[in-house]
Amino acid sequence: MSDSGYIIEMKHITKRFPGLIANDDVSLGIRKGEIFALLGENGAGKSTLMSVLFGMYEPDEGEIFLRGEKVRIASPRKATEMGIGMVHQHFRLVSNYTITENIILGSEPLKRVLGFIPCVNMKKAEADIAALSEKYGLKVDPKAVISDLNVSTQQRVEILKMLYRDAEILIFDEPTAVLTPQEIEFLLDIIRGLRDSGKTVIIITHKLEEIKSVADRCAVLNRGKLIDVLDVATTSTAEMARLMVGREVSFTSDKTEAQPKETVLKVEGLTVEGEAGNEAVKDVSFEIHAGEIFALAGVSGNGQNELADAIAGLKTAVRGRIYLNGTDITDLSIRKRTEAGVAYIPEDRHNVGLVLPFTLSENLALKRYYKDGFSKKTIIDRKAFEENGTRMIEEFDIRSSRGNKTVTAAMSGGNQQKAIIAREIALKTPLIIFMQPTRGLDIGAISNIHKQMIAERDRGAAVLLISLELDEIMDCADTIGVIFDGRINRIAKASELSVNEVGRFMMGVEDKQGGGTNKVRTGGTAS
Amino acid sequence: MSTLDTIIIDGLAFALPMFIMAIGGIFSEKSGITNLALEGLQGFGAFCGGLTAVLMLRSFEGSSQIPYYVSFIAAIAGGMIYSLIHVALCIKFRANQVISGVVVNILAVALTVFLAKRINDGVFGQPSNKFVLETSVRFSVPGLSRIPVIGAIFKNVYPFEVMIIVIAALMWFVMYRTPFGMHLRACGDNPHAADAAGINVNRVRTIAVMISGGLSAIAGMSYAYSITSNFSPDIFLGYGYLSIAALIFGNWSVLPTLGACLIFGFARSSGQALITQLGMPSSYNDLVRILPYLLTLLLLIFFSKHNNSPRALGEIYDKGKR
Ligand SMILES: Nc1ncnc2c1ncn2[C@@H]1O[C@H](COP(=O)(O)OP(=O)(O)O)[C@@H](O)[C@H]1O
Ligand SMILES: [Mg+2]
Repeated sequence: MSDSGYIIEMKHITKRFPGLIANDDVSLGIRKGEIFALLGENGAGKSTLMSVLFGMYEPDEGEIFLRGEKVRIASPRKATEMGIGMVHQHFRLVSNYTITENIILGSEPLKRVLGFIPCVNMKKAEADIAALSEKYGLKVDPKAVISDLNVSTQQRVEILKMLYRDAEILIFDEPTAVLTPQEIEFLLDIIRGLRDSGKTVIIITHKLEEIKSVADRCAVLNRGKLIDVLDVATTSTAEMARLMVGREVSFTSDKTEAQPKETVLKVEGLTVEGEAGNEAVKDVSFEIHAGEIFALAGVSGNGQNELADAIAGLKTAVRGRIYLNGTDITDLSIRKRTEAGVAYIPEDRHNVGLVLPFTLSENLALKRYYKDGFSKKTIIDRKAFEENGTRMIEEFDIRSSRGNKTVTAAMSGGNQQKAIIAREIALKTPLIIFMQPTRGLDIGAISNIHKQMIAERDRGAAVLLISLELDEIMDCADTIGVIFDGRINRIAKASELSVNEVGRFMMGVEDKQGGGTNKVRTGGTAS
Repeated sequence: MSTLDTIIIDGLAFALPMFIMAIGGIFSEKSGITNLALEGLQGFGAFCGGLTAVLMLRSFEGSSQIPYYVSFIAAIAGGMIYSLIHVALCIKFRANQVISGVVVNILAVALTVFLAKRINDGVFGQPSNKFVLETSVRFSVPGLSRIPVIGAIFKNVYPFEVMIIVIAALMWFVMYRTPFGMHLRACGDNPHAADAAGINVNRVRTIAVMISGGLSAIAGMSYAYSITSNFSPDIFLGYGYLSIAALIFGNWSVLPTLGACLIFGFARSSGQALITQLGMPSSYNDLVRILPYLLTLLLLIFFSKHNNSPRALGEIYDKGKR
């Protein structure tokens, strides 16, 4: 340990990508045994900075000191040897291997068969993993196969991978983005436990409550620059938010009273099949009016995806009808529906929302490319694509390294979502479906999306918002519907429902006024 | 010898070389490299082995078995070296792996026929595109070969069949029990995970493709010593493609692939037996040769739905991509 008391010091780190500076002269020190948070909006350069520390990128300028000594971390392998471990945003697991095989991969314990043939000592490995998971309270079955596990267990495997290699410095890149609230609590406990056993933890996140609850200190990044390093205990979340976004952010959306007009979407007795051939949506009926935000609350996996897909045309209805402005659209193709006036912001940005290998301008034209103004006599008009792209990039503040020409796969999640929303809003349709529009985004981006949603409502669109975040529902909704096990078991004005009531309906509590106790039905739990 | 015996003996002699070739394919594909080049690799291997054999036969006694074994070693070396073309195209130059495989196959036919002609002309002074080999000696296991029906397995066995079974068992062990095998299979499922674990993905894949070259060459050499009893362009009859079909039906795992190879082998030998029994002209033999391919078509209809190929198969690995 050096005199500075830092286990890691990053000095004047600059990392450039073609066309942008991801880290601009960043200097920070991390103390041994602390939980250090890295806060910043999407694209602020957090992952890049940590990738530099983990040896995935070489910095263009700057130096790294580890335990007081200057080091060059040329590869993840070197980083691992130096006791640095990292859990990436996208897990790096071999899907058809067991937990044990994944953890030991690359540093397998050996035994000799017939005294000289080296082979993997799976028995010892399994025992080691069992002991390790016991020690840190990360319960896993060493023999379970990765593809059978849920995200939260896969994350445990990633953590065990670091611990198995005796990492002392543990980096987590947005570990909570993929977890449910209970799983987040559990993870934060684990992280505290790791710190208490002497590990140094760096956690990247943009969720302020998490930082408040777990971190000792926190560095704020904005557009590649280090803004400040804060003591978490003495800083308010509002202050952190301000530093992160670079301006004041309002936590509550100031929206005016809804002025609902004629019925735009009418769903009657809709039944939709799920993946497994089960009835995921069961006999659902509701209406949404022009100038109204209808928010559908529910625990994940209760039929929300199927409902949204059925309205947008990605799935066919087994029974029931869907009307848009009085015309039956139940049997129309997706394109016909879009033209009839349905815009859809899907949950799965990568597979449904975007064509990742396409450029930004192509993705922004995806729903209109075949129309006059985008193509002339079936031949695509590149110039019109670019003009349209430039206009939207400007208007919606979509940030990327190469503007129109950026391949969307290389964009940050927040900006990918901005692009999808821009494309859908630009259609100016009477109905817009927002499916989990703010998942994984930072508060700056969230508040922008909420503003846009409300602006669309005020323009006179009917908005269907489907969200797993109760706060988001309460903030934005004019009308709230709660879905449980494929049925909507309550629809009411937002002003008439409290958070607690919505939460209870989400758990499937029977809507019985008076008489008897509330009963909780089973089924439809989070997946 | 009964007809049933003949079916079993010929079936095995055909199926086992195909099996070792398919194992080579499994190694390559489990590491993530699509390998249509098996056909070319076995042919090139047979060429190298055949050439070695004819060169050596001139200086050894007629009954010596040394040229036989040395020719296999030469075939393996030739197959491994020739497979480096596939390695270079797929890994170094990141070419499309299907196209690379086809190129390797076409090149193998052209190159071996050309070289065989030149060498026969120059060295042996006889214009021919063949290296004539003697058919391999065969042996029967005393005792075991007398058991009714299954005794045929031990009757009239080519030495290469024993060699293939030993090597196949060894390769199974390498694939499923050693660290190298674990790394190899990881590279075919998620090369990013392998990379993160400190494994050199390109190195593993290079070795895997070279193994497929060596094992295919064993198959080619075996066919040259049995079915064709020479090296000639006849070696390119499509058995390499058939072994790819076998490994697909076998779901990229070793034992089911053996099953598929045996089905192909027995289909072929029983067809031939049928023609002999019915006393049909030998020209019908050509018709029988298509039996395994016909079977392939039928099996494809049933098995193509639930195959699970390695997840990263055929993908060009790019470190930077996430
Ligand atoms: N491999 C890359 N090539 C080009 N640009 C990149 C690459 N990785 C990240 N970027 C860009 O660098 C910026 C910072 O990205 P990142 O560090 O991932 O942000 P954060 O993790 O804070 O959301 C973003 O604008 C992103 O588009
Ligand atoms: Mg990131």
